[in-house]
Amino acid sequence: MARAKVEQHPATGMTLVVMVGLSIAFLLFIAFLNVVKSGNIVSEANLLYAALVFYAGAGALYLGFGVTGTESYIKFASVATWAGLVANTAAVAHRWYEAGHPPFASLYEMLLSFVWTLAALTLVAEKRYGVKVIGTVTMPVAIVGVVLMQLLRSDVRPLVPALQSTWLHVHVTLAMLAYAACALSFALAMMFLIQDKVKTEVFLAATSVFTVGIYAAVLSRFERWGGFNVTAWDAENKAEVFISRGVRLFVTIPDLGWLMLLVFAAVAAPLVFYILATVRKHEGFLSVANRAVFISILLQSLALVFFLLRARDGRYPSLDAEGLYPTSLAASPFILAGLVGGIFANLLYLLLLWRRDDLESHLPDADALDRITYKTICIAFPLLTLMIAAGAYWANRAWGSYWNWDPKETWAAITWLVYAGYLHMRITRGWRGRRAAYFAILGFGVVMFTFFGVTYLLPGLHAYA
Amino acid sequence: MALSLRSAFRKVWLTLSSVKTGVILIILVVIFSAAGTVILQRPITDPDDIQRAYSPAMLRFLDATGLTDVFHARWFVALMIMVSLSIIAASVERFPNAWRYFSRPYKSPDDNFRRVLPTQAHIPVANEEVALDAAERAFKHFGWKSEHIVRTSNFSLFSERHRISEMAVYIVHASLLLIFLGGIVDALYGWKGYLMLTPGSASNQVEMKTGAMHNLPFSIRCDAAGEETYKDGTPKKYWSKLAVVEDGKEMSSKEIVVNDPLVYNGVRFYQANYGRTGKLDKLLVSVTPGKGINGEKREISLSMNEIVALDADTKVQLAEFIPDYVVQDGHVYARSNDVVNPAAHLIVTSEKTNKVVNVWFPAIPGIAENDSSPYILEPKDLKTGVFTGLEVSHEPGQWAVWAGVVLMALGLTFVFYVVHTRLWVVPVTDEEGCTTLWIGGSANRNRDAFEVTFKRFVDQVQKELAEFAAPHKPAASVSRTTIAGR
Repeated sequence: MARAKVEQHPATGMTLVVMVGLSIAFLLFIAFLNVVKSGNIVSEANLLYAALVFYAGAGALYLGFGVTGTESYIKFASVATWAGLVANTAAVAHRWYEAGHPPFASLYEMLLSFVWTLAALTLVAEKRYGVKVIGTVTMPVAIVGVVLMQLLRSDVRPLVPALQSTWLHVHVTLAMLAYAACALSFALAMMFLIQDKVKTEVFLAATSVFTVGIYAAVLSRFERWGGFNVTAWDAENKAEVFISRGVRLFVTIPDLGWLMLLVFAAVAAPLVFYILATVRKHEGFLSVANRAVFISILLQSLALVFFLLRARDGRYPSLDAEGLYPTSLAASPFILAGLVGGIFANLLYLLLLWRRDDLESHLPDADALDRITYKTICIAFPLLTLMIAAGAYWANRAWGSYWNWDPKETWAAITWLVYAGYLHMRITRGWRGRRAAYFAILGFGVVMFTFFGVTYLLPGLHAYA
Repeated sequence: MALSLRSAFRKVWLTLSSVKTGVILIILVVIFSAAGTVILQRPITDPDDIQRAYSPAMLRFLDATGLTDVFHARWFVALMIMVSLSIIAASVERFPNAWRYFSRPYKSPDDNFRRVLPTQAHIPVANEEVALDAAERAFKHFGWKSEHIVRTSNFSLFSERHRISEMAVYIVHASLLLIFLGGIVDALYGWKGYLMLTPGSASNQVEMKTGAMHNLPFSIRCDAAGEETYKDGTPKKYWSKLAVVEDGKEMSSKEIVVNDPLVYNGVRFYQANYGRTGKLDKLLVSVTPGKGINGEKREISLSMNEIVALDADTKVQLAEFIPDYVVQDGHVYARSNDVVNPAAHLIVTSEKTNKVVNVWFPAIPGIAENDSSPYILEPKDLKTGVFTGLEVSHEPGQWAVWAGVVLMALGLTFVFYVVHTRLWVVPVTDEEGCTTLWIGGSANRNRDAFEVTFKRFVDQVQKELAEFAAPHKPAASVSRTTIAGR
């Protein structure tokens, strides 16, 4: 139906391209003005900005393709991705040259490499395997990555002695490649589930659970009487403020907690209606749930806007110390990523809800997706193995023991075990299709926890990332 | 009785070797390892932090169950042993079959096999020999070796590649066991400790994590140690010059840095720590002659308890150094071992008059007698001693671990990227006397890619046949070819 419409009005097909093109031109013009003002063209910030602009354009076009199914968008999206990748490569090279070591030493540098790998793999998946809409998932992730990078500490910092090892670079390169392959297998598994006719409401439930999880984590910062805790930020040193070793100073933004609580209720609503629909077997609740998703997106956007406005700068009181302390968005990159990620997941769900038929007609068939998912994991698993081995070897040289049962190590081993489980079930038990896809999704969940969760929740030796 | 015992053993064996058991064990390992990262662990946490984090009753429970030291608890070790046994049982149970497959390749397919094989093609041919020749040339075209199989009733061709791929899984499992073995050896015979040295000193006593001392059969001497920092003050490099001394002879020496240890007789010495001891190394003092004494202003260097003659009659001795001093009731006490507020006590003696003067840096009121000293002494510089902290470890099993890692990388490469492919070419003559060339193929993984290769091979055989038959008759047979894909 929707496709027929597009074919009737080929003119509308170009509208988005023209709009995105104009926006890119406009943003580049602003960037040009900046460059003229600062007189420095190839600074890393400019290169990253260019990458962001191109990735954003590519993301918009991929989304446009997902929504309208206009083939020409893909071509322009690919071109934009290529341009973004070129800028990103230049940024990586610049960083490498500036720092004198490959960009893997801090979270900022690793995000830089991760985004690069993701964009490269997107192009590979598109050209080699014909998975055209993959950019719809990966480009927004790349955009979030680049935005996060703008907030994180980016100054080149010298390497502490433990990090001065070739094995570090081997270890981290392998990790980035493995994680990017895992991310790809996740996206492919999701697409398989779409092609495998999994009911749309199951995706509704998954999206809601994901978002509820995000806001539950965000609400762990809820302070009594509606406050919301964020880390204090020392603008001069570009660092978080610590009370004592390992203990951050939190400041409380008044009333923001109430808003977060409200949004938590809003994101939980679709889940509640979904459960009602399944328990009562009443289809009517589902349309209510879908409407609730729409409302939750609006409220989430509101929460994001208020968070941006209030946590961007300003001075707030703290419970742990007298006086007012400044904060900055840079102090809360993970809350910001969570808020953006939640909105993004819900938007993807809406895309699925409204344009499922078009999506299905543009994805490879389920069998092919199942096979490609498996192949991606066949690439990811040896990389994971080598990553752990290189890490162990490095640890042996730096700390005198190849295995310390450090949380990061343990979780890397858990990741490895989960994918080993996937391979065994697939090869010996013949698990194909849905069960394998769920397993691949679980695996990526564990990877994300190992990458982000362990760093910020569990203490240990592995404090660099 | 004996029989039932045997069947019971058989049952246990089958349970142990099943994939289900393996997966349950993996899930248990995952759950307990995850618990070990969430619950504070004794070996890596400050005892006070654990006390603070949990209520006493909770802590008693966690300690009793071993949850505060999951990775060293007996039940976790038992679990790992179960996993190893399960891997061994599963491998042993499946190995004979795979070995038969590996050692006795199936070269001459029978009727039944030819019927059910999913990937096969039929090409009608006029002559058996011509057809086999064409197939052989096709093999040659792709650079694959083929062999003639001669059976009583027929000739056929067989070609295979990468048979080793069938064994790859066992290579991976064996490598995992090798890694476990290394871990077990290290857990039983390995040790880890700490050794602190100041430049110039030597020791063979390593302090273990438990507090016990371990005596090395050789001693280690530190010749020098130091640090380098970046401009902003963050540490760039810690180094120590170490020498191994055995029976009075220097056996080995090396400047170690973080990431580059000294290894001697399987014992490794890592740069783990570096700092100031709070003890004095050298004190530089400027000496100005007081009234009535001839002489030039000069500088002397004093180390602890050293006596230096200022002239024929007067001597000075460095008697005390207090890194962080505090004065109470007319006495000087040390508050800590950090060099934050240092004080030095010098004694100036004149032999003729037997006069003893206590000089203090700084001049502590009520105690220091700096003014009555015949020479005016002023502190110029003070150099405190440094120490280097060495992590010492002995891990005899690590070579098994590294060998296991290399083997695993090899095994995984075979598992994922090397495919065992087989091709059979059999001329079949039916009851009516028509001959067809039956071509069959199989691959142990990545079958979709293999099917493409298979089609290309069949096409090549047809091309070779057509070339041969061209002078006689057009290749009409091509159109009748059927390729039954999966």
